[in-house]
Order: sequence, then C-alpha cells, then structure tokens
Amino acid sequence: MEFEFKETLLYIDGVSVAYDGVVVVKDISLIEKNVVRPNIESTSQVIALIGRSGRGKSSILKALTGLIEPHSGKILIKDFKNKEHDAAKVVSEGDIGFVDQKYTLFRHKTIYQTLKFALRKTDLTAAEKKAKIDSYLEQWGLTEFKDKYPNELSGGQRQRTAIIEQLFCSDKFIILDEPFSGLDVGNIEEVKKSFELLNNSSEFNTVIFTTHDIDLAVELAQSIYVIGYPTINGEKQSYGTIVAKYDLRDSGHAWREYCDDHRELCKEIIHKMMMS
Amino acid sequence: MKILKPFQKVSKSKRLLIMGSWLVFLILLWTITTAGDKHIFPSPKNVMIGFSELYKEGLVTHIFSSLSLCFLSILLATIISLIFAYSWPIPLLKPVSEFVTKFRFLPFTGLSFFITMVVQDARNMQVWILVIFLTTFLTTSLIAVIKDIPQEEFDHAKTLKCNRFEVLWQVVILGRIDYVIDVIRQNLAITWMMLVTVESIVAASGGLGFLIKNSDKFMNHGRIIALQIIILVIGLGLDWFINFLRKALFRYSKI
Repeated sequence: MEFEFKETLLYIDGVSVAYDGVVVVKDISLIEKNVVRPNIESTSQVIALIGRSGRGKSSILKALTGLIEPHSGKILIKDFKNKEHDAAKVVSEGDIGFVDQKYTLFRHKTIYQTLKFALRKTDLTAAEKKAKIDSYLEQWGLTEFKDKYPNELSGGQRQRTAIIEQLFCSDKFIILDEPFSGLDVGNIEEVKKSFELLNNSSEFNTVIFTTHDIDLAVELAQSIYVIGYPTINGEKQSYGTIVAKYDLRDSGHAWREYCDDHRELCKEIIHKMMMS
Repeated sequence: MKILKPFQKVSKSKRLLIMGSWLVFLILLWTITTAGDKHIFPSPKNVMIGFSELYKEGLVTHIFSSLSLCFLSILLATIISLIFAYSWPIPLLKPVSEFVTKFRFLPFTGLSFFITMVVQDARNMQVWILVIFLTTFLTTSLIAVIKDIPQEEFDHAKTLKCNRFEVLWQVVILGRIDYVIDVIRQNLAITWMMLVTVESIVAASGGLGFLIKNSDKFMNHGRIIALQIIILVIGLGLDWFINFLRKALFRYSKI
C-alpha cells in the first residue's frame, strides 16, 4: 500500500525513568510521523506498546503524559499552535490525553459536566462548546446518558466518556493503558469502534496503547514497540527498553484484513517478548 | 435449618421476623429477671415510670438542649477540621494538620481544666471542650479519606490541565464532599457519647447528661435506664438521618 511519511508527531530521545534513584526504564528513543495515503483523509497513527508485566510500560506512559519527569532524555511532540513546519514542544501535563485501565473520571460530575470541564480552557463560546459536546455525545452513542454520573455508567460508556474528555483537553495525542484488559468479545468490538472514531475525529490524532493481546496490537496498530529487558554481552539487564520495533506499514501488514501474515508476525512478536 | 447455616441468605421478611423474635426475647428476659422484689437492674415498669417522670420534668427541652449543643459543636468542629484536612496536602502545613491528629490521645479531663480557665461561661465551655476533641477525631478521619484517594484520580485531573490547586479543589474538596458527611456520621457515636459526659461534668443549661447525673445522685435506676434508651434511640436516629441525607444529596455517592 502506498504511503508517505510527513511531519514528526512524536520524538523521544534517550528517555529513562527512575524511582528513588533506581532506573526502571532506559534508552527509550523513537520517532513517529504522520502518514499520508492516497485517497485517505485520515493521517492518524496507532502505536502499540507491548511487553511482559513489570517491564516498565506504565512508567513510559507516565513519562509520555508528563505525569512524571524523565530521569534523562527528552520527549517532544508536534506543536499544533505553532504554524512553523516541524515546530515541536517539550511534553507537559495535559498535552497528551491519558485513559487509564479503570477509565477514571470525576466521580462528582455527570458526563455533560465532565466534557464541559474538559473544554474549559478552549477559546470556544458557550454555544460552540455545547454544540461540540452534543455532537460528540451523538457520535459516540452517549446522548441518553449525558446526565448520568460515572457510577451509573457501564464500563464501555465510562471508557468512551474518558476518551472524549481527553480528546477535548489534549493536543491530538491520546494514550490508552490496557484498553482491552478484562473485556468480553462485545466490549472489545466497542473499543475497536472507539479507535475508528478516534482516527476519524482528527487527521492528526495519534493513539498510543498498551496491551497484552498481541493479535489486537497487530490488527490495530501501524507501529509496534516491544518493551522488555535487554540482553547486553549475554547478560539480561534489569531495566526496560525497546527491544524490538515493528513498522507494519513498511512490512505491508498495516491497513489490511487480518490474515495468515499477521498470525506469523504475532508468533515472531511473542517470541521476542518471551526472550526479554 | 437454613437460618442456622453460616452465610445463608434469608428473605427480608424472615430477617424482620428474626429481629422481632430477638426483641421479644429480650423484653421477656428483662421482665422475668426483674420480676422479684430484689433485683439490681430496674424492671420495665420502673423504666416506664422513669420515662413518665422525665417527661413531666421537661425531657423534650433537655433533648433539644443536647441536640443544639451537638449540632453547634459538630458544625464548628467540621469547619475547623476541614481547614486542617484540606491543608494537609500542602507540604508547609502538613505537619500542623498531623500534629492536630495526635491530640486525640490527650486525656479529656486535663484539657477541660485549661478550657475552664480560658472560657468562663458554662455553655461555651461545653461547646469548646466538644469542638476541640471532635476536631482531633474528625481531622484524623478526613485525612484518612484524602490518603485513600487513588493516585489515578490525581493523575486524571492533571491530564486535564488542572493546576495543583484545581486538583485539590476538584479531586479532594468537590470529589470527596460526600465523604465529609460520612465521616461526621462515623464520628457521631463518639460525639454523642462525649456530649453526655461533657453535660454531666459542666452543668449549664440542662441536657441529657445533666439528667443522668441528677438521676444517678438519687440512685434512680429506672430513670437512668430510660435516659440510656432515649440517648440510644436519638443517636441511632441521627445516624440514619445523616446517611439518608448523604444519599439524597449526592446521587454519585456509593460508600
């Protein structure tokens, strides 16, 4: 499939994360650019971070969202407010949306109040805000629940609300931590639909997600990063880093129906994960 | 027999029947054990006489006096405790809030001695003794509520570009306002218990504690038990009312 890389959306260089002086993640470097395809309007990217438990995926996500300061290295994202080509800024709290495994929301706000709060720092007028909220609620099938509190919603409804809320507030980047964890088949389909909606909601939307389900990662992502313990001079290290990168666009797996090629790739990724 | 099996679920009607049976058994036991001429515990009849005497002596006024003291103390203590609890996340003020919680180990009598020297009016003295003691317990409970907030909730607010004071406002203050009511409810038992003691130590404008002390002086056991029952019923009523208020005011509250 034909495609072309354009501007850099995400630039991570030599990032390490440490807690109380103990380095848990080291040497994370990656570049993600938006991709233009002929006759396709959306240029959004889906990136998957996979790896065994305890390899530092959550720490990477926290550093990416600006919730923790990297011990070293830098994380830059495209500055959408700056009109210069390839303008970038250092990531800080709120630049990248984050939906955690529990789909955390404000427990004292209804869906409508939540979304209104997420739009509080935008330049939109009250009427524009209302129109935007109503349009998203309609599109994401939440209109009839707009006056409900989080404890009155199902897991899927909470997750969709959390995604819209983060979309309203962040700069076209959104991270989903284990969005498929503990879901049944029906709910997994719902989340997949959310990915589609996310991709179509803005041409620059970049979705980063972690998962233990390799099949889903291969089915949905265009880039897959395997996080694991590296082996240096025959010795396995005790910090997490990128041990393998799979560009599914280059390998021809991206934007295609799931087939035997994908299954083969899954086997290879699982092998890589087990080794790290 | 289902009702003898551990963890066995029973219907609501059966549960009520079991509770009713226990109540009848208790009343019967009370009546039988106090039927003779010599008995330490007063009979139901003595207690009924106690009720009637108390009513004639203005029981309702005394109940209102105790309730007004209770509400005023809780209101003041809650305001002060909230200030301490909401200051707790601020590093500079954290030691002050934590210091306040340690005061709950101070003996009651010692502190009341110092309050007696500062506050002259008996009613105000009652109020401030209660406020000081309640503040230490309420602050401890409120800080525990803040400590129990999952890190995800703070992170969630930060990802929505909330500054640190907005995080405090949204997650701690607004996000846990229903918990404040629950903390008051949990501490109500200790408030109610202390209130009766304070009323009996510092005699001011009557109250249930004053009535107990008076009855105790004349060894009127029937009256004492009648008063205990009144205090218990009011305490349980307040507990139910506050819980009802929390659920009615905060739809999202599921504690």
